[in-house]
Amino acid sequence: MSRPLLFSTTLLFAGGFCFPAAAQEAVVIQKKHRALFQETCISCHGPEKQKGKFRVDDLPFEIKDIESAERWQKVLNQMNSGDMPPEDEKQPTSAAKADFLDDLANVMVVARRSLGDQNGVITMRRLNRREYRNTLRELLGVEINVAELPPDGGSGSFDTVGANLFMSANQIEQYQALGREALEEAFAWQAAASVEEKLHYEAETTTPKVRDFVKYQIDARERAQKWVKAVEAAAAKPENKEIVAKIREEVKNNEPRFRREWARIPGAPDPFSFGFDKGQENDADLANDSLGAGWLKYHEYYTQMPDVDRGAYLGVQTRHPSQLNVNYIELLVPFSWPVGDYIVRVRAGAVKDCPPERRFLDFGIHARTGKVLHTSEITGTIEKPQIIEIPLTLTRGNASRDNRSLFFREKGSWDTNEEGARKRSEAVKRNGIGPELVLWVDWIEVERVPNANKPKPPGIAALDIPLDDKSPPPAKPALRAALEHFTAEAFRGRKPDAGYIDRLMSLHEVRLKAGDKPAAALKETLSVVLASPMFLYLAEPSADDKRRPLTDAELAARLSYFLWSAPPDATLRDLAKRGELKKPDVLAAQTERLLDDPRSSDFLESFVHQWLGLDRIDFFEVNRALYPRFDSGTKVAAKGEIHETFAHILRHNASLRDLLKSDYVVINRVLAHYYGIPGVKGDGYEKVSLPKDSPRGGLLGMAAIMFMGGNGERTSPVERGAWVLRKLLHDPPPPAPANVPAITRLAGKVLTTRERLLAHQEEPQCASCHRKIDPIGLGLENFDAAGQWRAEDSYTAIDANGKADPKSKKTWAIEPSAAFHRGRAFKDYFALRDIIASKSDAFARSFSEALIEFALGRPLGFRDEPLVTDMIEQAGKKDLAMREFIHALVSSKEFHTK
Amino acid sequence: MSSPLSRRHFLQSSTSLIALPALESLGFRRFASAAAPAAPPKRLVFLGFGWGITTETWFPDIKQTGKDYKLPEGLKPLARHKADFSIVQGLWNKYSNEGHWGSTMWLTGANRFAEPGQTFHNSISADQVAAAKLGMDTRFASLQLNGSENAEASGHGPGLSMAWDVSGKPIGGHKGPVEAFHRLFSKDTTPIEQQKAMLAQKRSVLDTVMENAKAMQRGLGKNDRAKLDEYFQGIRDIETRLAKDEQWIGVPQPKAPIPQPQEGLAGKEEIKIMYDIIVAAMQTDSTRVLTYRQPVSTLLTSIGIKVAPHDMSHYHSTMGEKLAASQQRDLVQSELLAGLIDKLKTTKEADGSRLFDHVALAYGSNIRTEHNLDNCPTLLTGGGAGIKLGHNLVAPKDTPLCNAWLTLLHSIGVNAERHGDSSGVLKEIVA
Repeated sequence: MSRPLLFSTTLLFAGGFCFPAAAQEAVVIQKKHRALFQETCISCHGPEKQKGKFRVDDLPFEIKDIESAERWQKVLNQMNSGDMPPEDEKQPTSAAKADFLDDLANVMVVARRSLGDQNGVITMRRLNRREYRNTLRELLGVEINVAELPPDGGSGSFDTVGANLFMSANQIEQYQALGREALEEAFAWQAAASVEEKLHYEAETTTPKVRDFVKYQIDARERAQKWVKAVEAAAAKPENKEIVAKIREEVKNNEPRFRREWARIPGAPDPFSFGFDKGQENDADLANDSLGAGWLKYHEYYTQMPDVDRGAYLGVQTRHPSQLNVNYIELLVPFSWPVGDYIVRVRAGAVKDCPPERRFLDFGIHARTGKVLHTSEITGTIEKPQIIEIPLTLTRGNASRDNRSLFFREKGSWDTNEEGARKRSEAVKRNGIGPELVLWVDWIEVERVPNANKPKPPGIAALDIPLDDKSPPPAKPALRAALEHFTAEAFRGRKPDAGYIDRLMSLHEVRLKAGDKPAAALKETLSVVLASPMFLYLAEPSADDKRRPLTDAELAARLSYFLWSAPPDATLRDLAKRGELKKPDVLAAQTERLLDDPRSSDFLESFVHQWLGLDRIDFFEVNRALYPRFDSGTKVAAKGEIHETFAHILRHNASLRDLLKSDYVVINRVLAHYYGIPGVKGDGYEKVSLPKDSPRGGLLGMAAIMFMGGNGERTSPVERGAWVLRKLLHDPPPPAPANVPAITRLAGKVLTTRERLLAHQEEPQCASCHRKIDPIGLGLENFDAAGQWRAEDSYTAIDANGKADPKSKKTWAIEPSAAFHRGRAFKDYFALRDIIASKSDAFARSFSEALIEFALGRPLGFRDEPLVTDMIEQAGKKDLAMREFIHALVSSKEFHTK
Repeated sequence: MSSPLSRRHFLQSSTSLIALPALESLGFRRFASAAAPAAPPKRLVFLGFGWGITTETWFPDIKQTGKDYKLPEGLKPLARHKADFSIVQGLWNKYSNEGHWGSTMWLTGANRFAEPGQTFHNSISADQVAAAKLGMDTRFASLQLNGSENAEASGHGPGLSMAWDVSGKPIGGHKGPVEAFHRLFSKDTTPIEQQKAMLAQKRSVLDTVMENAKAMQRGLGKNDRAKLDEYFQGIRDIETRLAKDEQWIGVPQPKAPIPQPQEGLAGKEEIKIMYDIIVAAMQTDSTRVLTYRQPVSTLLTSIGIKVAPHDMSHYHSTMGEKLAASQQRDLVQSELLAGLIDKLKTTKEADGSRLFDHVALAYGSNIRTEHNLDNCPTLLTGGGAGIKLGHNLVAPKDTPLCNAWLTLLHSIGVNAERHGDSSGVLKEIVA
């Protein structure tokens, strides 16, 4: 079938519009299991006896209704939990039982789908969070934080599936509040359209602070030593013997605590007289602290570095940042500066002998919570620094110090206190001082980019009345026109009834009468529009519940919400209005245009994220002690690799096969370094050819994918194997059954991963699924829990107190060879990857099915089978090029039908 | 709560026109003073004390479980009530990770990082779950009380009170006894006309979106109508809330059973008076759900302690006066609580029973000591708490604190399926 599936709409929909009454999907349990039943079940659950009032002899092998499905589910549960057959009764052979459970579990999955088939009906839906945010952005030109809206989906389906998108009283109020916020933001952007601001900060401002602190520390230490001597002298006096002994006993001979009790020792001097003032508290605490002069050596080392008089080094945290901060450079964007687009510049270089892994500079907002927004590699030197430019948008939300303080810090130097302190003490062990200073910053700069020359966003342009308080409130006709135009724009071309506009008019008047300024009254009125159903819902009305072809306008909305997660733009709406959009060549060209537009990244990212279950990446924190290189910046980069690779494939209409195996990767400098792959030239992600024997290339070679198949500490071959079956091979194992008894006899034993997994083969309940899952996971064991290649693994038992017992440590060489269940054997990861890559049709099916659900907003049904086949066939003609799947779907009857 | 004139009625019939603001308050007058219910209602109270307690001297010995435990030093002032409260050990909020946040997630059990990409997330607090049900018949669905000082200094963490709404947003609270007293017992000075106008405005917003929803409903099939019904239901729920607000417009405040507190009370005296206000609020049935974020910083100053409150909780590093301060704080707090329990026992309900018998009260913090967030100090009391009183209960280590909240919710008739990260009720302690 060639792409222009719709020769003409009249042809397709001629003679009334109806789908053939599709036959129900057949759900059948294989007959071969009958023997097992006869031998082991019927004697208690048959015509004679019905123990537990349950009989199985009349269970139909074809499941046609919910009642028989439920009875079979009961059989499955009982056998999985090991309760049936009872221990003292005749048991089936392990192999027969495993096969039966395998078959039955899969049949139950099909039965659930078949019995719940919506027959292609698409439920009307509200905008999900992403679409709501984007719709506001397209309308008002501003992006607001929608995180407070309840999350969508989460019930195992895509966040476009209408049946799972709900509405509540609270949400309606939230929509109005968020709409109000978006209007405030948009009005503020308009008001500040031509404002220019610029701030330049020389980094050497830090140096005198460090010098002063060094002086202070040396002086305070001296004073503290003198005081200590004086206290000790007083304590040594014979007449004080008794009280000293008493205090020593109380403080358990702890010297600093002993000194805190100075006031009780006659003759011991007041620490205050030595210059230690801790306000209301015991001044001795400050003296005790000064005695140690914490990190003095490091601070001295800092001041002795070259070029500290014209720049600053980025070090580690040594003192509380309010005392001294040599960890990061911070710049507060002045509170008086308005919302808008900004550019942040930094001029930085690295020392000559800077190790490659320490050349990365993090940029972010609010160093304490340390949200990294951008990481760049420093290729410049101190003699020849480079300038890096980072775009930044500040909104009304960036109103407090916490989210207006920009920072630059060496990547990974202080992501968390624990991790920073660990790296710091490692360095002290090595050199006695602390981490070497390698990154140097000359200056930083932040500048506002005026937006006066940009076209006004459509919602604002539609108003065409003054948006400030200087002008008087608009006259009624002008206001009415403004509301009509704004609502038409907000409702994506649909015009509301006059009665609705009347009500908005009177709301506006009431607000003005209540004392609102003109702009406030207008915003309040418009916020009601943004909480109205015509804005919030994507409706495709069909009064009699009949399936019908979409109108042109509906098609435009479906297409743009599919490929942009955003409303149709003027071009699409115009084509729809002129009745052109349904023409196959126009539709195909528009599909191409939408995919080429940067807005398509929202479709791709959210689709890939949900399809591949990437939320698991954020479920776990990596164990930094085990994987110090997988820091926050690397994790962000690794996640980015997945999305950038998909984006690359979509952009170049490359083959889906590249996701299974490819001779290139799409990475940035952070990952290039992490993977040890040379050749990245720019600052962002780019395509780089791989050396011949590289394990990278394709999803399985991605650090983030392998990270997901573990818990941040150890790998999980089960998780990885199940993921491969589910996503790549279109052979999903049934959901993990409840109440399968755990294999307890292995608890506390030190075993290799392979030995541990082998236990799954002992019980038929486990084997029925794990015999498929585990071999694949074992083949991926060469990737550690942070996605790095490894040749060996080890395990250390944890004792009752949660401490690792080093004596128990066992190390083994990874043995990746295994065989698919009833399938081909592979000797290592490369062979496994080749087998998976050879099954690209299964992968294409998995991709197509997910794409249909996402695009149509309903679960896949039995009757979608021809569509899936068509998509694979059509894409197959072009080597499974990614865009072909989308074209096939967009031109399908299903995509054009309510 | 239905009236022949209720807006709900208008809304349910899809053909009727929505007139605004058609409703006269005549239909609501009879609700004006909530008639004394046959049986006294259940109440729920949470008292939070920020920086925690002294681990070594506040908890009973975990080996002495059940009734026969020795009252530890820090709880001695509560000795006369020993049979009427229980200590529960081993509870925590597993997601909590901020050592300075004693109240932020105490009643929610939320994971602050649950929202990818965001640095703060919270969810509904247990008191608000209760208020959604117990709050329908009282002037205030719930009352949030705060100390009259900076909450950060007392180790409570972010939040406007201890209460968080259904979408996890902070709910404001009343600062100090004077403000709380006025809220409860002083006449609302907003002119009735203005109150009505504000209500009318809210209603006309609803009418506007309703108009739009109806226009949209035309032409929808059965399936889609069912989907849009969620929107209609949402509007109806807001209506119900507004209708409740309307009931109380112009209804005079109850006469205060206690004198107006002095201005400027702080610390110990402030807490004592606030406890009186809590009792008075329940006595007048102004609300049935209360939270109080107690001051700790000024409590210390008021009893002559000079140690900074945060440092006090770090007594392990220095012991000495910091430990002494921490223990003294425990004693004063226990003494104050004992006084509150006295009042609850002596205050009588309309049917002659003790107020104490209808209250479920939880007293504690998300912080134990220092920055430790496990074994959150938890004291439960009140005959309405539905638990065994007089016990030292040791739950398995790291049992969700929300299990305790779920237990309390059930005891007052709010049969939530779960709360926060709860895994079930605290079976061991259910009476």
